[in-house]
Amino acid sequence: MIRYVQQVEALVRKDLLLELRTWDRLSAMGAFAVLVAVLFHYAVDRTLIHPRELAAGLIWLTIVFGGILGLGRTFALEEEDGAIQGILTSPVPKDAVFLAKVTGNFVLLGLLVLLILFVFGLFFQVGLGGNPFALFGVLSLGVLGFTALGTLYSGVTVRSRMGETLLPVLVFPLLVPMVVFGVRGTSLLFAGVSGAEVEGSLRILGSFSLVALLAGAFLFRFVVED
Amino acid sequence: MSSPPARPAEGPSRESPAEGERTSSLEAHALVRAFGPIRAVDGVSFELLPGELLTVFGPNGAGKSTLLNLLAGALQPSEGEIRMGGRLRSHGEVEWRQQVGILSHQTFLYGHLTAEENLRFYGRLFGVDQIEDRIHERLSAVEMDHRKDDLVRTFSRGMRQRLSLARALLHDPAIVLLDEPYTGLDVHAAALLRDLLSSLKDGRRTVVLVTHDLTQGLDLADRVAIQVRGRFEFFGSSVELPSGPPDAFYRSVVEGVLGGAGGAP
Repeated sequence: MIRYVQQVEALVRKDLLLELRTWDRLSAMGAFAVLVAVLFHYAVDRTLIHPRELAAGLIWLTIVFGGILGLGRTFALEEEDGAIQGILTSPVPKDAVFLAKVTGNFVLLGLLVLLILFVFGLFFQVGLGGNPFALFGVLSLGVLGFTALGTLYSGVTVRSRMGETLLPVLVFPLLVPMVVFGVRGTSLLFAGVSGAEVEGSLRILGSFSLVALLAGAFLFRFVVED
Repeated sequence: MSSPPARPAEGPSRESPAEGERTSSLEAHALVRAFGPIRAVDGVSFELLPGELLTVFGPNGAGKSTLLNLLAGALQPSEGEIRMGGRLRSHGEVEWRQQVGILSHQTFLYGHLTAEENLRFYGRLFGVDQIEDRIHERLSAVEMDHRKDDLVRTFSRGMRQRLSLARALLHDPAIVLLDEPYTGLDVHAAALLRDLLSSLKDGRRTVVLVTHDLTQGLDLADRVAIQVRGRFEFFGSSVELPSGPPDAFYRSVVEGVLGGAGGAP
């Protein structure tokens, strides 16, 4: 078990170090999030609707569209000079590779979410609501499930010529429950309700993430093996 | 000229090694790997004793790299079995890969990590003890210690190949698989590699070398195989090779299968 954790840690550390060296995915996701917030800011007619009422939905859409940019390149650096083969011929269980990739992606998407909250706070005057812990719970669980699915399907599409186009087509339909309950929970928390009132959303998002993680860990070996 | 008969390996031993014995013999039995209708590896059988070096020759598309990937644990066989020290590969994939080091066409290195960071990463995946000492030792062996802090993307092809060899040997594997290791190496680096390969023949390791270079391939070989269309058309001890130029024998074997399309190894 200790060996397993050490292997996951080595993979996560390597992924984050590569991202810090290249800024490959963070720059793309961050620029996209800021641009979308600016566009939404000017697209919403404030004489008809208060932007805060739309903020939760727009935040989740920005997370999904921005996040898919980063998730789609999960295995791009691994393809360079066959590095993924180096990992797959090492004594690392396939599920450990998957969990490491999810962990690294979750950290990156966590940074994206913080940026999105900041930018939407500026343009849409939304704060963290009355219960920031519950808000981070809703966002974290939703993003975890999204990351698990996105990472799995990124492995499926990486060797496809149409991979980056195919990824959203495959992943987005599976994200419907996450978006529905993520938006619902976030809207309620922006409206200032207590954490207990979003317990249902938290449970469903937690279940969604758990199923996505377990299914991904089990299925990943079939994705990366010939 | 007709092709000499194939010389299949003797039947593999099914006995498990004694407890604590280092597992280093390698055997394949009726090994097949198909990609759709194409059998890239087609009924290959061989047995290598501890310390032996097998060189596999063959024309392009003969299935040599597929065979190495099967031995490395990167591909699943369609049929047949592979054993290391009597243990089936399928009985412990992770343990199998712990015992194997592979040098491929691709280096498996990350261009945005330094030489030392690449080795440290792989060392952690393989659970290498005293990792810093081992990294220093391997980098010195391939004469790359002076570039340990440089990003791999700044290295020439030959330097990457040397670093990749250090990566493949970092965890002191019992089975070493080398796919065209001389590719991209200059004269000095090729001589360095030859010395390193000689040092691998310490009686503890089994080495499978795939190469097109007959001279370098035969230089260290204990056993020789010529693979054509997935099959071992010749397998035997290097001393069993007929006298005369080896390329003539190679051509006779390949052309016996492919007709006049055998070409150079």
